[in-house]
Amino acid sequence: MKVIELKNLSKIYNPETIPVRAINDVTLSVEEGEFTAIVGPSGCGKTTLLNMIGGLDISSEGSVDIGGVSINEMSESELTTFRLQHIGFVFQAYNLIPVLTAKENIEFIMVLQNRDAKTMQERSDDLLDRMGIKDQRDRRPSELSGGQQQRVAVARALASRPKFVLADEPTANLDSGSTEALLDIMAKLNKEEKITFIFSTHDQRVIDRAKRIIKLVDGEIVSDEQP
Amino acid sequence: MILSLAWKNIWRSKRRSFVVMSAVAIGVWSIIFMVSFYNSMIGAISRNSLQHDYSHIQIHHEGYLSEPGLGFQVKKPSMLMKFPSQIPDIEAVSARLIVNGMVASPKTNLGIQVYAIDPADERAVTALSGFLTAGDYFTNIKRNPILLSQKLAEKLKVKVRSKVVITVQDLEANIRAGAFRVSGIFHSKSPRINNGVIYVRHEDLSKLINLPDTAFNEFAYLLKDNESLIETKQMMEAKTNNLVRTYREIAPEFDMIEESSTISKQVITVIVMLALLFGIINTMLMAVLERTKEIGMLRAIGMFKSKIFFMIVLETFMISWVAAPMGLMAGFLTNLYFEKMGGLDLSQYAGALEQYGGDAIFYPEIAQSTYLLLMLVVMMTALIGAIYPAIKAVNLKPLEAIRKL
Repeated sequence: MKVIELKNLSKIYNPETIPVRAINDVTLSVEEGEFTAIVGPSGCGKTTLLNMIGGLDISSEGSVDIGGVSINEMSESELTTFRLQHIGFVFQAYNLIPVLTAKENIEFIMVLQNRDAKTMQERSDDLLDRMGIKDQRDRRPSELSGGQQQRVAVARALASRPKFVLADEPTANLDSGSTEALLDIMAKLNKEEKITFIFSTHDQRVIDRAKRIIKLVDGEIVSDEQP
Repeated sequence: MILSLAWKNIWRSKRRSFVVMSAVAIGVWSIIFMVSFYNSMIGAISRNSLQHDYSHIQIHHEGYLSEPGLGFQVKKPSMLMKFPSQIPDIEAVSARLIVNGMVASPKTNLGIQVYAIDPADERAVTALSGFLTAGDYFTNIKRNPILLSQKLAEKLKVKVRSKVVITVQDLEANIRAGAFRVSGIFHSKSPRINNGVIYVRHEDLSKLINLPDTAFNEFAYLLKDNESLIETKQMMEAKTNNLVRTYREIAPEFDMIEESSTISKQVITVIVMLALLFGIINTMLMAVLERTKEIGMLRAIGMFKSKIFFMIVLETFMISWVAAPMGLMAGFLTNLYFEKMGGLDLSQYAGALEQYGGDAIFYPEIAQSTYLLLMLVVMMTALIGAIYPAIKAVNLKPLEAIRKL
């Protein structure tokens, strides 16, 4: 089942002065359960593409369908709801809420979804367990290592039960051990629960684990392989 | 959890929150103190004028206002004397015969108003006997005793038992003079009385100017409290065809003083609140700008603008909710302290304060409702102060924040 479908997607910055095509006529689809890495040199448009898939940026041309729903024409408010219900985000710098504990950070997105307390409790306990950070549940981000923080961030992204998770350079700030541990968890989730992950990365360790590698150069797909 | 998050956000920068909370608390405390101080000062001026000069209600002949003097004496005075037994809210009455005249001592003479009174009645209405600084209250001098103020005594260079001559006109405009002896010297809380009123017994003056014992041109009534002022006035009007006026009608400066006091208190409150407003805006703006990335992330993961707006407003409210009661409590305790200590002693400014009829010792006065009102004003200020930072926060573009990540 197609989770993401991009058709002739382009993003043009400064269209009326000096047009810059950050993404140029990209067409691709992502099936449920994929473990996909979007790779390419800096400035090739990886993050821009991820932003458009995540409804954070608007395309100049073409369309973005998520689970069969076009998000191009959605209002800002509709996009916010859509992101909340259907998309999980993992950021390079973790971006956890520093005053909340690991558990509260995971539950926060479910609060935004108006889930009941019991559901939140069960879901956060389960995710903490699966991420291997149950013992750290009551610690604040400043009391966790980078790897542990990123695991909390992944748990937060999964807490809302999204259609897929977008991870922008998730391992860029992690050491090798933490990177491997995080990738192990994400690969396990992908394998056992068919959770769709899409990474933008130029980390070879991530690329080596990916089941599909889409290479972007100057905003265009130059290769799309399944090693 | 948003409530909890807002509370935790306040304590991210403890020093900054403490500074703004202190500013709010000190601002609230200063307003409480200033309002109490103003109320005390204005209250004393009003109370002194009311209790020691005008009384609550006065009755005159309708013509007395245009031509004060002996020509317009009140009608049916014996009936007016019975009002305290007929109208329950009247505490006491003093019937007066007031005439302009001169008082002369061996050294000098002065223009004055002579209040011819019944000493017992006047004591009940104006507490005149309580202000004696020398001599006694019409007791030791058997013939033509007189009471005059310390100020007049100094001007006339007389003391207790000194002889003075009072010169007045009778009904036919004949000059009548009589020798009086100083029985007592007083210091009233009313500047008007200190500056130009002397008291003699009604029987002595009426004998001097050949008027009957029932000749009066002013009746002054002291009420049990101020609440029934209008009602009592209306009851009196129904019983007499003389002119009945409340102290507010007699002395419009009461309203003016109270209005100017209200305006002063409002101006002080507005100034303090403006200072707090800018402090709150500055603090919350800093708090928002420091969290640009985080707020952008919250927007990215699906937090609605309205919830971010609510969170920032809540943080501002919480700062005020903590700080304002602290300020109110500090104000309350300050007032309590001065009450226990016997008031705030400003004796060194007594001369200046007496010019306005005020007291040298201030007893803080503040209505309970002022605390509640002030709390509401602080909340309103916090709400206004939160709006701009909250708008800044909701206008952050999630993408721009993401790009910074």
